[in-house]
Amino acid sequence: MADSSGTTLMDLISSDPTSAPAPPSSSTSAQAASTAKTTSSSHQRAASPFSKAVTAVTSVTSSNNNTDKKSKRSTLMQIQSDAVSAARAAVRIPHKSHKKKPVSYAQLARSIHELAASSDQKKSQRQLVHHVFPKLAVYNSVDPSLAPSLLMLGQQCEDRTILRYVYYYLARILPDTGAQGLTPGGGIPTPNWDALADIDAVGGVTRADVVPRILDRLSTEAVNADPEFKKTIFEEFDEFDYVLTIDFDESDCDVHYLILLIGTYTKVGGQSLCWYVAVSLSSNDCALGLHGGLKLWTGKLSNLFALFHARRLQALKALTYASNTPEILQKLYEIVFGILDKVAETPDKRKKGIFGAKGGDKESIIRSNLQYGAISALRRLPLDPGNSIFLHRAVQGVSFSDPVAVRHSLEIISELATKDPYAVAMALGKLAQPGGALQDVLHLHDVLARVALARLCHAISRAKSLDERPDIKNQFTSLLYQLLLDPSDRVCFEAILCVLGKSDSADRTEERALGWYKLTREVLKAPEAPSVKDKDKSSKARRPQLLIKLVMRRLESSFRSFSRPVLHAAARVVQEMGKSRAAAFSLGVQEIDEGGDVNTFAESNDQEDGKSQHEGNKDTVASLLASLMEVVRTTVACECVYVRAMVIKALIWMQSPQETFAELESMIASELSDPAWSAALLNDILLTLHARFKATPDMAVTLLEIARVFATKVPGKIDADVLQLLWKTCLVGAGPDGKHTALEAVTLVLDLPPPQPGSMSGLTLIDRVSASDPKSALALQRLVQAAVWFLGENANYAASEYAWESATPPGTALMMLDADKMVAAASSRNPTLANALTRLQRCAFIGSWEVRIIAAQALTTMAIRSGEPYRIQIYEFLHALAQGGVQSQFSDMHISNGEDQGASGTGLGSLLSPMLKVLDDMYSAQDDLIKDMRNHDNAQKEWTDDELKKLYETHERLLDLVSLFCYVPRSKYLPLGPTSAKLIEIYRNRHNITATSGMRDPAVATGISELIYEATKPAPAEPDNLDDDLVNAWATGLADDGLWNNAPAMNRVNEFLAGAGTDAPDVDDENVISRPSMSYDDMWAKTLLETADADDDDGRSSGSSSPDSVGSVETSISSHFGGMNYPSLFSSKPSTYGSSQPAEKSGTSRNRKPSGGSSSYEAYGSPITEEPPPYSSPVHQRYESFENPLAGQGSSSFDSHEEERSSSGNVQSGSALYDFTAGGDDELNLTAGEEVEIEYEVDGWFYVKKKRPGRDGKLAGLVPVLYVSQS
Amino acid sequence: MLLAVLIANSEGNILVERFNGVPGEERLHWRSFLVKLGADNLKGVKNEELCVACHKSVYIVYTVLGHVSIYLVGKDEYDELALSEAIFVVTSAIKDVCGKPPTERLFLDKYGRICLCLDEIVWKVSSPS
Repeated sequence: MADSSGTTLMDLISSDPTSAPAPPSSSTSAQAASTAKTTSSSHQRAASPFSKAVTAVTSVTSSNNNTDKKSKRSTLMQIQSDAVSAARAAVRIPHKSHKKKPVSYAQLARSIHELAASSDQKKSQRQLVHHVFPKLAVYNSVDPSLAPSLLMLGQQCEDRTILRYVYYYLARILPDTGAQGLTPGGGIPTPNWDALADIDAVGGVTRADVVPRILDRLSTEAVNADPEFKKTIFEEFDEFDYVLTIDFDESDCDVHYLILLIGTYTKVGGQSLCWYVAVSLSSNDCALGLHGGLKLWTGKLSNLFALFHARRLQALKALTYASNTPEILQKLYEIVFGILDKVAETPDKRKKGIFGAKGGDKESIIRSNLQYGAISALRRLPLDPGNSIFLHRAVQGVSFSDPVAVRHSLEIISELATKDPYAVAMALGKLAQPGGALQDVLHLHDVLARVALARLCHAISRAKSLDERPDIKNQFTSLLYQLLLDPSDRVCFEAILCVLGKSDSADRTEERALGWYKLTREVLKAPEAPSVKDKDKSSKARRPQLLIKLVMRRLESSFRSFSRPVLHAAARVVQEMGKSRAAAFSLGVQEIDEGGDVNTFAESNDQEDGKSQHEGNKDTVASLLASLMEVVRTTVACECVYVRAMVIKALIWMQSPQETFAELESMIASELSDPAWSAALLNDILLTLHARFKATPDMAVTLLEIARVFATKVPGKIDADVLQLLWKTCLVGAGPDGKHTALEAVTLVLDLPPPQPGSMSGLTLIDRVSASDPKSALALQRLVQAAVWFLGENANYAASEYAWESATPPGTALMMLDADKMVAAASSRNPTLANALTRLQRCAFIGSWEVRIIAAQALTTMAIRSGEPYRIQIYEFLHALAQGGVQSQFSDMHISNGEDQGASGTGLGSLLSPMLKVLDDMYSAQDDLIKDMRNHDNAQKEWTDDELKKLYETHERLLDLVSLFCYVPRSKYLPLGPTSAKLIEIYRNRHNITATSGMRDPAVATGISELIYEATKPAPAEPDNLDDDLVNAWATGLADDGLWNNAPAMNRVNEFLAGAGTDAPDVDDENVISRPSMSYDDMWAKTLLETADADDDDGRSSGSSSPDSVGSVETSISSHFGGMNYPSLFSSKPSTYGSSQPAEKSGTSRNRKPSGGSSSYEAYGSPITEEPPPYSSPVHQRYESFENPLAGQGSSSFDSHEEERSSSGNVQSGSALYDFTAGGDDELNLTAGEEVEIEYEVDGWFYVKKKRPGRDGKLAGLVPVLYVSQS
Repeated sequence: MLLAVLIANSEGNILVERFNGVPGEERLHWRSFLVKLGADNLKGVKNEELCVACHKSVYIVYTVLGHVSIYLVGKDEYDELALSEAIFVVTSAIKDVCGKPPTERLFLDKYGRICLCLDEIVWKVSSPS
């Protein structure tokens, strides 16, 4: 694009159609460079035009360098004529040709050199201003070889426009390309000048050559403190440095001139040239010239001073572009501080100008310009937080008369205040008091200054370090509240955001909650309301006003604006308000009764003067909010889609869990029909849903319903991964009561109307409505697949139905052969699961082939995980599906779900047969077991060891088979049915087999066992033919860190939550964003099964599951949801968490590790598990020798196996390598060299025990792995 | 801070662009994002009527002036409202230089002076390091 625009620019700008638009080649550059060299010699000619000398000047002599100058003049004359002729010869452009506009870069460059050396100043200046300089701006960058000419021009010209350009181009040469400063673009691309100069054998001019010269010159001008300038006889002008000595005055006809010689300004060839100012004593006119003849400028004397300062300011400004080197930086600090030192006096110490009051005015203008220049330069320099001089200078700026200077000063201070509020508050001192300079800022005519003031007040009023100085805090708080009355929306909104506790870096829930509390409770007392001129209004404004009412009124009026930016900003403020409100609710801030009359707060806050206003009607926060939201809703009619998006986000945030969301949902639904919505915007809203959920998990169902609208209406535009992640988090976060509904909400995506008779296209109503184009249809298809998979994976969790929890013996199911009864029994017992089943069955019939495959897999998962009668129901259905029309030959059972039974040609036969085989095996083994038991009972004989062994082997074999299809908790899962539990336990106890060992387990050989081996790190062996992407997506959805940290969806959500977008209030970002030590297994562990507490509860399972499964489940969830206690997936007894794991409520991610650990050790110590098997080394060796053919993830879990080993109780000793200071209650202080016992490792932390308690009295705790060497 | 000022012609060719603190690799994205934004939304917009957009926590205010469209991108204190004020200054400066809402031709004729004014107005504040 840049190229095309470049061509356009070139074509259009070049007024000579024949000129070639090509960027300058190296040859032209070389030419330019050589020209530059020529002109550097012609530099000496700077003081060229002698012929037009002012009469007064011709006789000007200085007492000390009188003779010098005469000789200088003749030398210069000589040099000048040489230089001009040389320059002309070099560039071969006759003066006349200036009329022809130069177009190519080389020509422009030549012109600059030439014109700088020109004898006809006026003409060349005109040429420069009108043709050369403007054209030069078209190019991307400025050739360093132009610098000498520019510098020369800067010296000899006093034409303001020329000077503007000169400093502008110098500033463009200064910065490194792209690093800092001006990085102009869009113009015609230029080559890398330095590279070109390097190539040039003759030696071109590089940046390195010219930058020091430029810097030197600029800093001299900026300081303007050449010693000779200091000599002045006019004390009044002392601080301005520029008047030197009166040489003499001379009467020229009737005009008396006062000749001020400014001093040597330009050094040319070792000689100095003198500047002079000739001042007419009678008329106050003056002239500026260079000794030798040229009168550069004429005008009023006061303007002359301004001219000098303009130079100084420009030089300072240009200099800041090069502030990236430490030396320059240091110099700049000095210059700026120096200037500030001079100009920072109070304005009332105004001095009389030499020529009367007029000069005094000018003086103050100059002073304020200098203040502006210096403070702006300071603003551009890096902050120096610890430096008290820096702070002092910045604070000085608050009292400056220039509004922009005040703005920059306040910006600097407010940034400093976020780092060190105490120092800033102290430095501001009296300025913040009533009548101080900060109060004046309230009426300052600069919006951004007031914005910076709001930020400053916010930073100080919330600073913890100032807790013991409530007086200071109150001053700033009251300033902040007064800004709520600001006439500018920008300032008012900023003040609202500050009151609400929004911060740029990291939002904290407490801050937010406090913000909402303050907004709804606090009162703005007796503001001065000077901005309101109207007397009535101002008297009204003096009454104490509730912040909430003020804010609401203001926002409502903003929403009536026609300006889109105002609407957008107002909606954003409402969104932030919603965030703070949500934070307040989630923290349960006391007294957020929104039904209370707000006027009573005013009363209670205002008892001493008792003037609170009752306006007759009762205003509640709720009613105020309601009326605001009404206005917000109408804004959805705005034609700008971004405004609408912001409004919808605001509505989502302001939606409270109790209210009906029908209106919001329908609004979103109708919005989504608008094709103007971009994918990015829609995803932004989806991410907002995420953030909203994190703030208020109660809203899971509501949010899922809204997300569903996205899924069905705009499947092609939304990021499916993000949507799935939302489903997942919502389901997990919905809590025991909400998860049924949450699952329902997710699967509503599948709740498509059945296909019309005769139409087997599979396209449904929603498809037709929304997925008209192939891309959307495909996206919808993918969403449906994801939803089906989700349903299969999570239905059991949502329904709390597990085979291993089921009390129904298998015989019962077999007896319920009557299909209708079975369905009735199933749905009455667990409607959630029955519903899910029905949906999956429908999908298995009518979906596209991808959906059917996944539906079949999902059904298998459910069959394996569910108890009866669901398993048999699914079994029967799968049979029907596999056999199609001939199913009756296979079984007498009938399809019972009311669907079309003639599902022949489903194409799923090959896929289904292994699944059916597993179920077949399970059922036949169950039959055998029942038979055997009956035999034993009848014969009243004990089970022999061999029989038990056979039984156990069958159990293990079936477990392995089952594990191939989906994850089941090995220690609890009983493929032979609940009745087998006792016998298996007997056998295990007899042979010291823990439920999780199983050395003969074939799964070990295949590597799958590693994934599922111990419940410590459970991982599912996914069905091998499952769509890889889908699995990955779900792995992402299931775990938000560890191996899958790079998953785009998670990144997007994390970024969003971390504040790249709107800030989610209460997310523990560190935990969410990166926990690199988390392994794949951890990931699954925390999202899938937990078993430890269940073991304790039912005691039926003989195996001990490792503690970390619980720990990690809780880890992920608690860290994810800000420490709230959520049930994990598959948790059958979520309510027991609270009691069994009390320590986990503390919320920090590491807190639960010791508790998880201790529970594990209790479990290990229990008689059931006996000692841990010595499996570590042989198993590990075996792992190394086996490839894992089935599960791709097998290999990735080796390291976790080691982790597992170390966590399973092999106490190692070690010694501390370094000192470590505990950062939390669960951590342990270490001194280097201290001996410790390493109990286990968790996530890069060792849980260690010391031999004797440390100074803090702690004996055991967590330390980073790297701090301990294992011996 | 003010992240970018971008001026494009009606075809979406970029005439002037100034980025402050935007990494080189992101500039291309911003360019195309802004140009697309303009192409989608600036049709039929009156001179100096402000349009707004946002991307994450970055705000964009843009408008049409004569035959050129002007985009301002900012964040932090330069939110949509501050950008509205800033764009007012930019449009006034361009009108001052050109004497009227510029055609593309006029804009290019006055290119250098516009650049000069723009760069004097938009004086980058370095982020605290």
